[in-house]
Amino acid sequence: MKPIIRTENLTKQYGSKTVVNEIDLSVPAGSIYGFLGPNGAGKSTTIKLLLGLVRPTAGSMELSGKEITPKNRLDILSQTGSLIESPAYYGHLSGKENLQIICTLKNVPETEIGRVLKIVRMEGQKDKKVRNYSLGMKQRLGLAAAMIGNPRLLLLDEPTNGLDPAGIQEMRELICSLPGQYGITVLVSSHLLSEIDQMATHVGIIDQGELIFQDSLDCLHEHSRSRLLLHTDNDPEAAKLLKHFRIPSEQKDGKLYLRVSEDGLVIKAVAGLVNSGIGILRLNEQQMSLEDIFLHLTGRQVSL
Amino acid sequence: MTSSFTRQLRAEKQKGRRRHLILLPLLFLFFQAVWTAWQLSNASPGEIQTGYLLLFHHLPLMNTLLLPMLAAVTASRSCDMELKGDTLKLLYTMQNPSVFFDCKYLAGLRYLLIFTAGQGLLILSSGRLYLFTEPLKWPMLFKHLAVTLLVSAVLLSIQQTLSLLSASQILPLAAGLTGCFLGLFSLFFPAFIARLFIWGYYAAFPVAAMDWERSTRIVRYYEVSFPMAGFLVFLAACTGIYLLCKSITVRKEV
Repeated sequence: MKPIIRTENLTKQYGSKTVVNEIDLSVPAGSIYGFLGPNGAGKSTTIKLLLGLVRPTAGSMELSGKEITPKNRLDILSQTGSLIESPAYYGHLSGKENLQIICTLKNVPETEIGRVLKIVRMEGQKDKKVRNYSLGMKQRLGLAAAMIGNPRLLLLDEPTNGLDPAGIQEMRELICSLPGQYGITVLVSSHLLSEIDQMATHVGIIDQGELIFQDSLDCLHEHSRSRLLLHTDNDPEAAKLLKHFRIPSEQKDGKLYLRVSEDGLVIKAVAGLVNSGIGILRLNEQQMSLEDIFLHLTGRQVSL
Repeated sequence: MTSSFTRQLRAEKQKGRRRHLILLPLLFLFFQAVWTAWQLSNASPGEIQTGYLLLFHHLPLMNTLLLPMLAAVTASRSCDMELKGDTLKLLYTMQNPSVFFDCKYLAGLRYLLIFTAGQGLLILSSGRLYLFTEPLKWPMLFKHLAVTLLVSAVLLSIQQTLSLLSASQILPLAAGLTGCFLGLFSLFFPAFIARLFIWGYYAAFPVAAMDWERSTRIVRYYEVSFPMAGFLVFLAACTGIYLLCKSITVRKEV
């Protein structure tokens, strides 16, 4: 798939602090790209850079194959919708009136309002003042505003922040439906890998301003499948034998793990241990926890 | 096809629904009308004869006291909704920040224009109501209103900048209130110091002056020549201040 977003060495510094460091993003068209990283990793700054809200210190950005410059920024962004950090709204106006303002600014007919309200399932609340909306409704209104003008790309920064579980589920379903039903590419940021796991087709992981992983979600899962928990009647001896057989393994918190993904190596390990008199009690494929994946990628513990 | 600028200006109008901003100039005008009525009711027949000159002398003082606050409240009410709703990040993906500043400014300037036009009507209706015998000199009226609008306009640009840059509206409103007092006190400062306080400029370009005879205790109002050159320099400075304010606001990343 051709990338709809492409950045090259994108960098943002505030004084001596580098917030985004030489990022090469590549977001395939038609994908849901999960942009993952702990709080303060540089996700929001990257999205703001893409939207031209902050000026890059270095590097270049392309949206829909066109390089973004201060001159053509608004032209390119006319095909882009965004929801950044928290929903933007005028509390003294109704949901419909808020969307009318977006229609005016985007120069699209107000018939769009009905369409986007239907997508976010808010037709019934359109005449209520937004200050009386729940956070979930404000987020959905924000999403509706982002979708006015039928954009090809949506940039959503932590759209489920502050929502209750039902709201999160609803927002997730909405986002998942966008590429299939409306042909929209979505870049969605989150600090929760479990959330990205349920929505994204592609993932980029950012930490301390650096993009440390970027590929399909399946590829990320390869990392998480590569660990098997092995219970034997003599774990220390089993560990020694595995080392002797040159089969990747590790002992952690008193547990023995096989770090292999190929079936052949698993068979070799089990057969070798049994033949050496070690009794195999259990062999469980363990989904690597998100924290573990992050630790595996970065070498440091964070709370995701 | 509506131009992009007109659309953005229309969006400002749409945002202003139910904010009742029109009440602000009307409220300030009402206060000024009551004050003027009280002043004219207490004026001597001689003063009433030169009623227009009296008003051209007194209104700049009233404007110094009231209009910095009107500019501050107008800017605050208009910018507050953007900050409360955290809308700038969204707007700047659809609007050039510089054009946003211009449109927001023009939307606020409308209310100052309404006030200024209202003050013009107040002067005219006072003449009819209190039977000023002196004929109105239209150029004087226009010059007075031009000064009123220009000083208010430059104050609005400063207040708008403060309102857009401040997380809380207390600071800009306090600045407006301080401006009122500074402007008023500056009228008693030596001219070269008074020129440092823009809030006092309502009285810096007078079209009328007052002469008070200590021995006879007679007050006489008379026309003075309008300092056009100084006014034009001030106009240029106001343009500079506006551009500076805009540049400061636009430079700030959201």
